Amino acid sequence: MVKRITFSVQKGESFGLLGPNGAGKSTTISMICGLLPFDAGEIEVAGKSVKKDPMSTKKKIGVVPQDIALYPTMSAKDNLVFWGKMYGLTSAQANKRAAEVLEYVGLKDRAKEKIETFSGGMKRRINIGAALMHKPELLIMDEPTVGIDPQSRNHILETVKKLNQEGMTVIYTSHYMEEVEYLCERIGIVDHGQMIALGTKQELCNRLAGGTVISLQLNEIESEFITFVKELSFVEQVVSKDNTIEIFVTHTNLAIGEIVGKAVTSGLQVQAVHVQEPNLESLFLQLTGRSLRD
Amino acid sequence: MRKAWAVCLLELKKVFQKKQSYFLMFAMPLIFTLIFGGLSGDGSSDRMKLAVVDDDQSTLSKGFLQSVKENELFTLVPESKQQAEQKVKDKKLGGMLYIPKGFEEQMMAKEDPKVVFKHGPEFTSATAISQMINQSLTKIKMELAASLQSSRLTGEDWKPVFSAITKETSTASTAVHKIEVKKGKAQSKLNNQSASSAGFSIMFVMIVMMSVSGTILEAKKSGVWYRMMSTPISRFELMAGFFLAFFILGWIQFGILMAATSVLFDIQWGDPLGIAVLVSALLLCVVGLGLFIAGFVTTTEQQSALGNIVIISTCMLGGVFWPLDVVPKFMQKIAEFVPQTWAMKGFTELVARSGGVADITLPVAVLLLFSAVFLVVGMSRVRFE
Repeated sequence: MVKRITFSVQKGESFGLLGPNGAGKSTTISMICGLLPFDAGEIEVAGKSVKKDPMSTKKKIGVVPQDIALYPTMSAKDNLVFWGKMYGLTSAQANKRAAEVLEYVGLKDRAKEKIETFSGGMKRRINIGAALMHKPELLIMDEPTVGIDPQSRNHILETVKKLNQEGMTVIYTSHYMEEVEYLCERIGIVDHGQMIALGTKQELCNRLAGGTVISLQLNEIESEFITFVKELSFVEQVVSKDNTIEIFVTHTNLAIGEIVGKAVTSGLQVQAVHVQEPNLESLFLQLTGRSLRD
Repeated sequence: MRKAWAVCLLELKKVFQKKQSYFLMFAMPLIFTLIFGGLSGDGSSDRMKLAVVDDDQSTLSKGFLQSVKENELFTLVPESKQQAEQKVKDKKLGGMLYIPKGFEEQMMAKEDPKVVFKHGPEFTSATAISQMINQSLTKIKMELAASLQSSRLTGEDWKPVFSAITKETSTASTAVHKIEVKKGKAQSKLNNQSASSAGFSIMFVMIVMMSVSGTILEAKKSGVWYRMMSTPISRFELMAGFFLAFFILGWIQFGILMAATSVLFDIQWGDPLGIAVLVSALLLCVVGLGLFIAGFVTTTEQQSALGNIVIISTCMLGGVFWPLDVVPKFMQKIAEFVPQTWAMKGFTELVARSGGVADITLPVAVLLLFSAVFLVVGMSRVRFE
């Protein structure tokens, strides 16, 4: 269930929906695509209401589902031609466009091979290609890089970047912070069905009370030690989980010396110390007390 | 409807891409027809065989056997008593008719002669044969009485008189003449080969058509359904695409099976227009049944299990595997609620009685009624979100 999610995406913009699994990203985009009914509010795509005129809005959207929504026993080209026809292309138009799309996703030489013979990354590329067949105004991608190798992932990210640079509006959902940071100008962070933060990357990072996060891994965590850390003047927030403490601080060098020194004098073993510059991951941690990949 | 046509063509392509489809659609029904159609056959050579043991070897016992031989239910095979018993035990023969020594003496003494009819528990025609044996005995008694009376009056030996009487009665023409009428009366049933062809075609078309439900579940599982619903295709176009695909598929299968059985087994399918109407109504019903099942299952495992149970049980009830007149009356009543029963009735009209479209009005109407119910319920339960 999602509630009170409000955002707008301008033409040609690349917008990211970031959140952990189960946050409500897929539900949100399913509603934008007209796949799920919603009981309150309004969604408009290119000025048309999704509720009142779903056929018109569907024509403008290309959806890349999280699953490989293709026919495995059919060839790459046959799949693309079929999905082109589903978007209203004639047979001739679909065949011509399929050749262009295959070239675009770098699989022209594999056009006649069955999808079931493709690697995970190649399937993902055709999965994206199917959504491009009708040259949509808005491309909605639901975690399109799940479960693929780094090389294919990079290829997909480059393809999406290129599409956006060519003027296509993109809504990209992911729980990978780096992907959203790389692709999207504006980002909405979703958790438990609600939008908990919205803005550009810079705007969001500026919201972090303590700019830097010190991650301290200890052999054990004592409540006395936590209390000591929380009372330090340069500490904004402390989040502890298992044997790790995430500390949001305003003066990094001062904090490291003071906190590590106290841990040692308290008889705790410091197993690792990480210093993390402000990013969306730390913002999510600060807002929810949980990691994006929890 | 361009999108519906695209869905239809894709589904057809998916089916014909798989080699195993050809085996299931065409080879299996033909093999089943060949095996089961040929098993019981129709000719006299395929009639039930009974062993006959005549220990009396008298005029009367021979006369009695002659009378029994005139039946059209079974053929008598002379055997020794020991061999006959063994063959019945081994189920090589349906039963044995044993006339012990003293048959003629008992008849002459106006006692009820002892005749033994022995058969296995699975022998379904035993009652009819027992009745037939009793009728022959009664006939012999009457003929003997007539011979003895004649002998008393003329002083002649009764045996030549008896032989003359039995010869006369066996060759005497019956009052009721059997006239073979091409349509309507003489043949009320499909012969075995035709029944098997129609029955197994129906069954295997149903098995293939059940994949309607499987296709929708598979599409939902793979995410194709999600993508499909995100495209500007209406629900009507989508379902029409699936429906059309399986209707055409069913016709291709039925058409090829009819042509093949016509060539291989010399089956005359009858009026082409009647066949077109009946098969179309049957396919509407079967595709509707597929959609109906799709509305009630959530996994392919459930679909497979439920689909097979429905097909096999309704084929059994509907007279696909055996004629309905061999099952009890209450089962025949239940069969009225099974589509296959009406399809088989339609085929009987067209194939066995050379009927036309007008003769299959009732079976077609009932099949269309089944189709409407299945489609309405099935469509109302398909989840599009």
